[in-house]
Amino acid sequence: MRDDAYLGLLAVFVPFSLISIGGGASIISGMEGEVVRARAWLTSREFVELFAISRAAPGPGTMLATLVGWKIAGWGGAVVASLALFVPSSLLCYAVFRLTNAHREKAWHRAMREGLAPVGTGLIIAGVLSILQLSGAVGLTATVAFASAVLVMGLPRIPVLMIIALGGATGWLVG
Amino acid sequence: MRPDDEGQHGRAARRASLPALFAVCLKIGVLSFGGGLSAWLHQEFVERHCWISEDDFASSLAISQMLPGANVVNLVVCMGEQLRGPLGAIAAAFGFLVGPFFAVIGMSALVDRVHDLAELEGVLTGVAASASGLLLVICWRGTRRAARHASGLAIVAATAIGVAVLKLPLLLVAAIIAPISVALSWRRVKSDA
Repeated sequence: MRDDAYLGLLAVFVPFSLISIGGGASIISGMEGEVVRARAWLTSREFVELFAISRAAPGPGTMLATLVGWKIAGWGGAVVASLALFVPSSLLCYAVFRLTNAHREKAWHRAMREGLAPVGTGLIIAGVLSILQLSGAVGLTATVAFASAVLVMGLPRIPVLMIIALGGATGWLVG
Repeated sequence: MRPDDEGQHGRAARRASLPALFAVCLKIGVLSFGGGLSAWLHQEFVERHCWISEDDFASSLAISQMLPGANVVNLVVCMGEQLRGPLGAIAAAFGFLVGPFFAVIGMSALVDRVHDLAELEGVLTGVAASASGLLLVICWRGTRRAARHASGLAIVAATAIGVAVLKLPLLLVAAIIAPISVALSWRRVKSDA
């Protein structure tokens, strides 16, 4: 049973590791598709909660995978999911760095960078839309999200944790 | 890099020990709330410890952002490799991730424990919403950068619509659109040159 869970986590997260262009936020939508819709490991509610926790805690947003693993298969699941998500992309990065660092600023570097960036942006937009769709109160979520974005753009020096805390306080008062 | 660049500003002088590398990454990992981390890594690796030169940092950052994976993890992998080889890369990545690993699980366990509180659901919805807002800022900046070329904007839209609206598998969408997008930008880079 547990071995099945580990294999399932590997099957989900290893491919996502290699497709997480622009970082962990780009695979939120895909994770939701696998974890909530296709495999029904978690409910929408649980997924949104884990997303909230992964963003309020320190570390890259990719720690969402660690939490999914932990929910499904305990400590072992957390370790398996984390390794599945961080090892493949890190190995790829290591290899590319080793092989190409000697001749940097090649044209293909720029082409890769400029070509992949819009894909990453599109994936993150999809991730935000997924969270909005999953969250029960779409109006409240969209309003708080928009207000947080405006606040960050207007006051770039505001600590991220304060934005998160303001969002939590609003949800507590209104929800 | 030209040889005469290798002065005070070019090449970093000091050598990092594995424990020191691990400790710096551990510290940044534990205290890393919500992005802006590459600036912090720059401060520690380039300015404070003088382990990595400006040029090397810039090229590591470029590779980290271009490839899949959390950018900061990729960045510490590159710098770890440069400083101490494979063991350095492992020490840096492990050091960076071990703190957040226990932090997220601890927070999640805490949330589970007080789950009976009705208020908690509202708080988490609010946190998820403001965190989405932070991502919206990244989306906005990314879209503006992409909009310098009509094709960039089309790629952003096609990716988002394919995944979020049409609900196509993300792997499929990325596997089709990414090569097209790289090919388009390759043609642009070539014609610029």
